[in-house]
Amino acid sequence: MKPSSLLSSIHPATEPDTLAFLERAEIDASTRGPVLLFFGSAVFWLLFGSVLGLLAAWKMTHPGLLDSLGFLTFGRIRPAHLNSVIYGWASQAGIGTGIWLMARLSRVSLMHTKLLVSAAIFWNLGVLVGVLGILAGDSRSIEWLEFPGYATPILFVAYACIGVWAVIIFRFRKPGHIYVSQWYLLAAFLWFPWMYATANILLVWQPIQGSAQGAVNWWFAHNILGLWFTPIGLASAYYLIPKVIGRPIHSYYLSILGFWTLALFSNWSGMHHLIGGPFPAWMISTSVVASVMMFIPVVTVAINYHMTMSGHFEALKWSPTLRFTVFGALAYTVVSLQGISMAIPSVNTLTHFTDYTIGHAHLGLYGFFSMMMFGAIYYIVPRLVGWEWPSATMIRWHFWLVAIGILLMVGSLTVGGILQGVALYDPTVSFRSSLDFATPFRWLRGISGVLLLAGHLVFASLFVLMLLKAGPRREGPALLATPAENPSQTTAA
Amino acid sequence: MTAGLILILGGLVFLSGSALAAFCWATKRGQFRNLREAALTIFDRDEPPGTPTDRFPPRK
Repeated sequence: MKPSSLLSSIHPATEPDTLAFLERAEIDASTRGPVLLFFGSAVFWLLFGSVLGLLAAWKMTHPGLLDSLGFLTFGRIRPAHLNSVIYGWASQAGIGTGIWLMARLSRVSLMHTKLLVSAAIFWNLGVLVGVLGILAGDSRSIEWLEFPGYATPILFVAYACIGVWAVIIFRFRKPGHIYVSQWYLLAAFLWFPWMYATANILLVWQPIQGSAQGAVNWWFAHNILGLWFTPIGLASAYYLIPKVIGRPIHSYYLSILGFWTLALFSNWSGMHHLIGGPFPAWMISTSVVASVMMFIPVVTVAINYHMTMSGHFEALKWSPTLRFTVFGALAYTVVSLQGISMAIPSVNTLTHFTDYTIGHAHLGLYGFFSMMMFGAIYYIVPRLVGWEWPSATMIRWHFWLVAIGILLMVGSLTVGGILQGVALYDPTVSFRSSLDFATPFRWLRGISGVLLLAGHLVFASLFVLMLLKAGPRREGPALLATPAENPSQTTAA
Repeated sequence: MTAGLILILGGLVFLSGSALAAFCWATKRGQFRNLREAALTIFDRDEPPGTPTDRFPPRK
């Protein structure tokens, strides 16, 4: 704690409640600079990536759209969309949430904020160089790793600062229990640089030969979901769901079991993306088994979230954070069970190479992870800015636009994908006509993209209004008042 | 190919191994002894269980 802090300057006879509030407020405030920088840039990349995604979706139904511009051809904007939402939006929203959560749970004020601010600047520089590189035609055509070789070292240096910081804050935590969210965050922050470096060394700097490239590619692409985004999303929900409704997690034992089984099984699952590929059978089989074992962590999380919420579902009406977080939690259960089923070879032969997979990816990265991040941002930012969200109506619009948008997108791609998969297996249907089965559903996907982009515009405006402290100062939700000023907040339970 | 495979397999073992090592460390430190109380560590004196901590801002 800094000697000049507010906490150390107040009267020794201050109420313990006020002390607890001030201590928490001070830790929150210490994270303000870097977390807002990560969130702000995440929101920028979310908009940028949504526009590219929408354009890519429309090109599937209107192939001639803007085709005279080389840098806007499908082969470039599709990877540019993927990488800007993964590394620009999702990773930065996750890092921001992780920093805030780790500091709060470790009960330590953030140290070395300059390290994190420079990491954020470098990270954004890396994403910018990478995305422009892809649009300029330098994509590496390795899925999830399309950034050209001159962009990834910048990202890696930026990440090194974040990783160092994560270890420092964990090292200086207050003694006591390590909450399950801290385990998830620590795992994510320590494993990511290792996965990213391995994949980049083996695929870019010293490329290995032949089909082994595919193995490295999918080992990485699966792990960035399973061991980077998933733990951060779950860490956020394991804190926010009990904290928002004011009720401890239903079975803490299950949450611990869930974390450790995820840590043990998740990293073996990547090869199920390569079922039918030129790989030793044992490699694929091991992955299929590990994928099915993922049933344990997924079900522990599902039971816990549901049972903690049980009897408190009316809270979804009054808490914006909970609305997004619970949507994300439900999507996590669905997308994980769907993923397990897709790892079973007989299902995989139907869904592989169809839009079904695209639907699954969006349910995971958007329905689960992005919704979790929206929920976390709605909880965290008021505590950093010291201001309530300016408009409840805009939050509701944001929620409904993106909730309906993502359900429409996943639904249409899933149905279209199955029809396409069945047609691909039918010897009487030509490959060309098998695509026709997906076309009407691709139209629907194009519409869902408009809803999502509209939702993101609402969210981005709300975020900017929040930073400008627009609207009247509100007394209502009492989050920012000290307990002495507003003791009546228990009534909503 | 062989070098790559060794690296991948080594990676798999390393990731799972680090998880196992952390698990042993945590067990030794007694992190899993009193789970009922552990679940309550996210609450504070001024935000005890039973206190909701998030709401929509009021309409004007």
